[in-house]
Amino acid sequence: MKSAGQSKFKSILAAGGFAVTAECGPPRGANAEIIHRKGELLKGCVDAVNVTDNQTAVVRMSSLAACLHLLELGIEPVMQMVTRDRNRIALQSDILGAYSLGIRNILCLSGDHQSLGSQPEASNVFDIDSLNLLHAVRVMRDEGKDMSGFALNSAPAMFIGAAANPFADPLAYRVVRLAKKISAGADFIQTQCVYNLPRFKEWMRLAREEGLTERVYIMAGITPLKSARMAQFMATKVAGMDVPEGVIKRLSGVTGPAALEEGLKIALETIAELRTIPGVRGIHIMAIEAEERVSELVQAAGLLPRPVK
Amino acid sequence: MIVAKQKPIAEIKEMLRPYQKVLILGCGTCVKTCFAGGEDEVATLGAALRLAFGREGRHIKTEELTVERQCEDAFIQEAVPAVARNEAVLSLACGAGVQAMARRFGKTILLPGVNTTFIGVLEKPGLFTEECSGCGDCELDTFGGICPVTRCSKRLMNGPCGGSKNGKCEVSPDIDCAWQLIIDRLTALGQQDNLKRYIPAKDWRPSLSGGPRRLLREDHVV
Amino acid sequence: MSSKFEPKIHVFYCVNAFAQGVFSPPDAENAAFVKSIKMPCSSMIKDVFILKAFECGSDGVVVIGCPSGKCKRVDGNMRAAKRVAWVQKLLDEIGLSGKRLVYTVGDETDAATTLLLKQLAELGPNPFKPVEQANPK
Repeated sequence: MKSAGQSKFKSILAAGGFAVTAECGPPRGANAEIIHRKGELLKGCVDAVNVTDNQTAVVRMSSLAACLHLLELGIEPVMQMVTRDRNRIALQSDILGAYSLGIRNILCLSGDHQSLGSQPEASNVFDIDSLNLLHAVRVMRDEGKDMSGFALNSAPAMFIGAAANPFADPLAYRVVRLAKKISAGADFIQTQCVYNLPRFKEWMRLAREEGLTERVYIMAGITPLKSARMAQFMATKVAGMDVPEGVIKRLSGVTGPAALEEGLKIALETIAELRTIPGVRGIHIMAIEAEERVSELVQAAGLLPRPVK
Repeated sequence: MIVAKQKPIAEIKEMLRPYQKVLILGCGTCVKTCFAGGEDEVATLGAALRLAFGREGRHIKTEELTVERQCEDAFIQEAVPAVARNEAVLSLACGAGVQAMARRFGKTILLPGVNTTFIGVLEKPGLFTEECSGCGDCELDTFGGICPVTRCSKRLMNGPCGGSKNGKCEVSPDIDCAWQLIIDRLTALGQQDNLKRYIPAKDWRPSLSGGPRRLLREDHVV
Repeated sequence: MSSKFEPKIHVFYCVNAFAQGVFSPPDAENAAFVKSIKMPCSSMIKDVFILKAFECGSDGVVVIGCPSGKCKRVDGNMRAAKRVAWVQKLLDEIGLSGKRLVYTVGDETDAATTLLLKQLAELGPNPFKPVEQANPK
């Protein structure tokens, strides 16, 4: 297992590099092999891997456990924590446990409502929200205190992240929200996946104006599209997603491998654009259940090899 | 008001199965207003139950009575003779009323005929919506009169979440995103700066989370 | 069915639904319109009146209102129609079948009663047998 040290992900960003992260969903079962397989696909092509926390309110292997499996492979995990299932006591407890096991990065989220998941009959928790969690982790790290003010015997020096959505309405309020998350404790931000570049650029411009890009590392989200149907689905059925007509059109009329090719092309064009935007410090690739595409994408984008600490 | 909804006939029938003589006891306050348990509903339910059992060849004897409020002993007292005449009481009051009855009538079978749901308002004729969850520490002044504890499905103090779509909550398109409402209202009030304020983690002690609550007004104890 | 089933039907009608303010039962060989109750407005109908009709042994109930837009109290006929729909669902829950109850407007009464009789022929008599009901109040 990797020995305790600082977050490698943080070091790359602090040194001025353009970081690359990806996402990995734990299995719906106790089989560690599945996580190992996903890990092997991602190893070496990204700087850190986000591990989701019962994503879409469906029971999966815990984020904490899956992060540990990735650590064993020599991969740096970002442990996602949602406030839906655990109260402040359990969340703080897991942060201490995670840090003690070598986990150095946290992403704080509210989480999808359980009514949308596999066990809608469960009650939810939502004792605190994602901003309260950001704040709590920051205080634990910088002041060595838990939420009750108790002095911890050892402060977890976590690199703290939050999600942001430049594509939800209203645009101006989205920047206010970003500022709030940074003030609460966010060191890095991973955004919703970008297809609408003009809109994203506008959000970045407003963020720069507020001085926010000086205070936080912004990683733009990327999800390569596989087909026109996928693009349509995301455009209409997924909350807070902005997929312009032009993108859908490019994918209509091509199927199978040709559609995958086009999807990859769009992603590469987007990445190239993103790298020119001041304040964008990296990309976060969300290739849900398509981890094998990540290395292909990162390589074609000219982002290999990744820095080795 | 407290909003409740009558239980399905099938479920009530099951509860009444062991009994021959039943008092259907209504309440003239909250449940009357939401059409779950006032005099009219007591009469309708009485007829419905007699028909439902009757068509199986079973004739249940029902007595019908409605008191002003089932949550106050002074009013419940009026039901004493009727309760004595029957084997069980099917109460159409909210959960508080049923329990007030249980406090007074220690040896009476009490059956709940409605599902008590929420504290709400009549948004428009026929539509009742949940507004308050009794958190015990009201912060409606901060949020422009819209409660994020109750009306935000995730109880966010610093909302909205990423699931808000076209002003609707990710849970259902029938549910308005409370935070969209808060943003709109604060903006209309010229208080949008409230949105920049970080609201710390809520202290849930004054809510049910801290245990069932009591209110003692010494000035009213005689 | 052994003997010929003669359905007993209760009618609740709004006096304004008919020209002379009177409901005349249509010619029907196998129906006995046992009771016609007139109302100053169809909205006077209450859920419990319909259910009581069935408790008295009625096999079917007709509620008659004025055509849309013609209610003298503006929307009484709409309210009556909604109440009838509510009781139809309740009758299904009770196990009597909501098909024993119809709402109609004055002009369409003949068609509605024909339909009701057809449904009653399939459903048979009301399975509930009235019994002396003790109600001290």
